[in-house]
Amino acid sequence: MNKGLPQDYLPLLIQFSLALGFVVMTIFASTYLGPRLRSKRKEDPFECGIESQGDARLPMSVKYFLIAILFVLFDVEIIFMYPWAVNFKKLGWFGFTEMLMFVGFLMAGFYYIIKKGVLNWDED
Amino acid sequence: MYPIIVFSVSGLLMLFLGLSVNKKSLLPYNLLFMLVGLASNFLDWNAPGLYFNGMLEISNPIILVQWVLIFAAILVSGISSRQFDDTHAYPAEYYAIMQFALVGALIMVSFQNLLMLFVGLEILSVGLYVLTGSDKRNLRGNEAAIKYFLMGSFATGIFLFGVAMFYGATGSFDISSGNSVANNLLEGKMFFWLGMVFIFIGLLFKISAAPFHFWTADVYQGAPTVFSAFMATIVKTAVIFALFRLAAYSFNLEYENWSKFLVIIIGLSMVIGNVTAVFQTNFKRVLAFSSISQAGFMLLSLIGLGAQSYGNLGFYSLSYALATISAFGVFLVISSNTIVEGRPSENINVFDGLFSRNPDLAIILLISMLSLAGIPLTSGFWSKFFVLNDAAAKGYFWILILGVLMSAVSLYYYFNPIRASFKKTDLGKIEISSLSKYTLYVCAALTILFGIAPNILRSLF
Repeated sequence: MNKGLPQDYLPLLIQFSLALGFVVMTIFASTYLGPRLRSKRKEDPFECGIESQGDARLPMSVKYFLIAILFVLFDVEIIFMYPWAVNFKKLGWFGFTEMLMFVGFLMAGFYYIIKKGVLNWDED
Repeated sequence: MYPIIVFSVSGLLMLFLGLSVNKKSLLPYNLLFMLVGLASNFLDWNAPGLYFNGMLEISNPIILVQWVLIFAAILVSGISSRQFDDTHAYPAEYYAIMQFALVGALIMVSFQNLLMLFVGLEILSVGLYVLTGSDKRNLRGNEAAIKYFLMGSFATGIFLFGVAMFYGATGSFDISSGNSVANNLLEGKMFFWLGMVFIFIGLLFKISAAPFHFWTADVYQGAPTVFSAFMATIVKTAVIFALFRLAAYSFNLEYENWSKFLVIIIGLSMVIGNVTAVFQTNFKRVLAFSSISQAGFMLLSLIGLGAQSYGNLGFYSLSYALATISAFGVFLVISSNTIVEGRPSENINVFDGLFSRNPDLAIILLISMLSLAGIPLTSGFWSKFFVLNDAAAKGYFWILILGVLMSAVSLYYYFNPIRASFKKTDLGKIEISSLSKYTLYVCAALTILFGIAPNILRSLF
């Protein structure tokens, strides 16, 4: 056989439909066959802890997003530090100056965000 | 090439200057950076070639267009004086984003590789999404920003899809590789045509040509007026030249195919832009629809695609930028003097009695409106004349007649503000900062100069 004809892929199709059918079947079977107590408590998303109040869609302070972005930034910085640490001796002074430049740029950004007051959490 | 580097660095410097420098003294720094960028372009003069591994092309005509872009940005900065003085404005960030957006625009007129075009388009668009919504307390501004962002990112997606098809058909992102499929059979060209159509759609959206224009009026109205002027001039110039580069280098062998649908888009732009503008009462919406019809006229030079077309397009861009920036500039001064319900009024009746309130502004408005309408002795006349001449050379006479007819329609709405400015009024004089006054003088003077002697500029290209 030198060329795949459409019917050669039939087993794949059967495999897909079996997988999908199994998932659908389990969901319906477990809902309708299993013993089940229905009450308001049971239908709650959380059974214990503080009772949930209001809607989950609350307007959040933009500060959270800023801090999340800053976290990602410094996280990525650390990722760059690791390969440098592994090859520290091999890269020598070249690696050191490159890294100094990288951290220098990052610190300039850090200076900027501090001056902008991004980390002043108690202000609104 | 050098201005790209200059503006990338100066944008960052601008952000840091915002920390230490007083808000009101940021504008001189911005102008200084822009002048440095303008001057740095001289370094590339008479040094044509490909730069950055064949990513960008530099030649004298391209440098001239880059000058047009930077010059327009300087004029927009000029009319922005005193606009960002209130407490909720962040001029350092605005100017920084303007410089970054300018980097994108400069890349878009000199790309040699479609990936560079995409990068430029994104730098330009993302900056503009932010600038559109920069007036956070204006509900219309928020609406405009979200609309522009959603529709703009869809258009970018469509454009990128087209680039992928182009790559699939030719095996390269280089713009000259479009010629390699010229001899292919129909089957091999299918993807190429698909890519061509999608690339055109993505870019036509950005210059708000007719079937893709629906965002324009709302976005121009919602955005702060300075940035509407930026959008109307710099974005339009950058994208039309990107389209021209593609039409001239990638798709020139397919001219017969795309020119047919482009000419319909041009006709639609002229009709929809001009006829809808007649019914507008908001001046920014009038200018938005006028920019749609001007986009139609600019696209005529793509239909022409002759030896002179590049220069004609450059001439058109500059004269359109001069007229639009002076219209926005005059409007900006007057509307910030006419507060209705806590916001600057944008209705056309703000121009009422302008001639007695400030005769200079009224004359500048008159010149800019005449230039936009294409009345002789202003540069707008020659720019329309050249592009229509281009299209006529290729035998598209019906578009020529339509263009002239629609120019006649446009007289109606361009004369509305002029008529209003000669009404009688008992309102007091209007004060204007000296920087925006001189910017407007420069715009009006150049409009007249190029109207009397168009070859001063045209012979350069």
